[in-house]
Amino acid sequence: MEFKEVIGRRRSIRFFEPDRPVEREKIQTILEAARLASCAVNAHWAKAIVVERDQLSEEKLERLKTPVSALNIELAPVHIYWYADLSVVNRIQGSRLKELVDVGALAPTHGWSHKFVDEFVYPQVLRPMTEGPGYAVAAAADCGVTICQALLTAFDEGLGACLSAFNSAIAKELFQVPDEWVPLYCLALGYPAESWEAGGQRPRPPFEEQYFEGEHGHPFQRDQAVVEKLKQAKMIQRPATPNNPERTEEIKRLAERLGLPM
Amino acid sequence: MSDLQPLTSYATVQTWLDGLRQHWGGDPERDDPERLEALEAFCRFAEKDPDAVIDECVQVRNGEKRIRAKGRRRYADLIAQFQSQVQGSRLRRAKWGNAVRSFLIHNGILLQAGLQAGERGDNPNPGAGEAPDSG
Repeated sequence: MEFKEVIGRRRSIRFFEPDRPVEREKIQTILEAARLASCAVNAHWAKAIVVERDQLSEEKLERLKTPVSALNIELAPVHIYWYADLSVVNRIQGSRLKELVDVGALAPTHGWSHKFVDEFVYPQVLRPMTEGPGYAVAAAADCGVTICQALLTAFDEGLGACLSAFNSAIAKELFQVPDEWVPLYCLALGYPAESWEAGGQRPRPPFEEQYFEGEHGHPFQRDQAVVEKLKQAKMIQRPATPNNPERTEEIKRLAERLGLPM
Repeated sequence: MSDLQPLTSYATVQTWLDGLRQHWGGDPERDDPERLEALEAFCRFAEKDPDAVIDECVQVRNGEKRIRAKGRRRYADLIAQFQSQVQGSRLRRAKWGNAVRSFLIHNGILLQAGLQAGERGDNPNPGAGEAPDSG
């Protein structure tokens, strides 16, 4: 699939084929995509634990459920639990930045050297950053890039996926999660039981409300010609509409098939 | 519990029926009268009227209405017990349990109970809905 179409087709899928396993190769592909994500100071805070639902006992699966995510957890054959490892910066102490210097990604043209990393970046910027109140937020934002890459790859592989919060206390106990890891999201993964269109692209706030040009309050002007081009490229697709009878029927069919309340 | 009044006289039942009507269309009372039958049977099973069921799942704290986790858990368990003793096929038991869950859901009590129609492994149609150009 073309990149723009992958973005256009991604929806949070909440109805999975409960009995159709996800090929291990596809799971690895998703993780490979995550590993290649852009990351500040090359730290790579994002860590993931892949769990096959059917490897969990019924009792463990029940304990993992939350009121909001219980059904996703039960329907999705694979769960990927994402974390931010806050210990990584003080463990690697700038060494991965120096790798970037060595391969020419960070060059003297932009002021970079091993000495700069050792004497300034790590001791004066990174280490103090790890002690500041905004550290976890920064690390989590960075992990978001990684998780997004994994998410989009899932759709490129023909899978459906949905991110949701999870019961971190239970997951920590069941999966031996280190203390330094901050829980982020669970990526529920499986083959969609709903149509890939799933009612259409989900409602989003108006473009001009979100993005500005030059200064806050001055909306970035949206060019309709670009919008049309993106429709051609299938990035912008038919929007979901309220009370769409086709979607209502689809959910009814799924509810009946899977035995879900309506 | 004193004897139940006609179910549609309860405000929470009206909220439920309105929710069903708005979300799914049609006339929920006429289209599937078994729903009300299931809720009435549950109320007798739990010895609570519909308004009392919802009341036990919510609380008002600092002027804000909140879901009472203990109440919800209690009713999730009670519904599962109720469902297991419904006479008939597994599908009918699931239908009756889900009718009660639907009553809570449309009254704002989020409740997920997982697959009710079948165990995992019973899926008759794996593969439906796969992206046509996957991979």
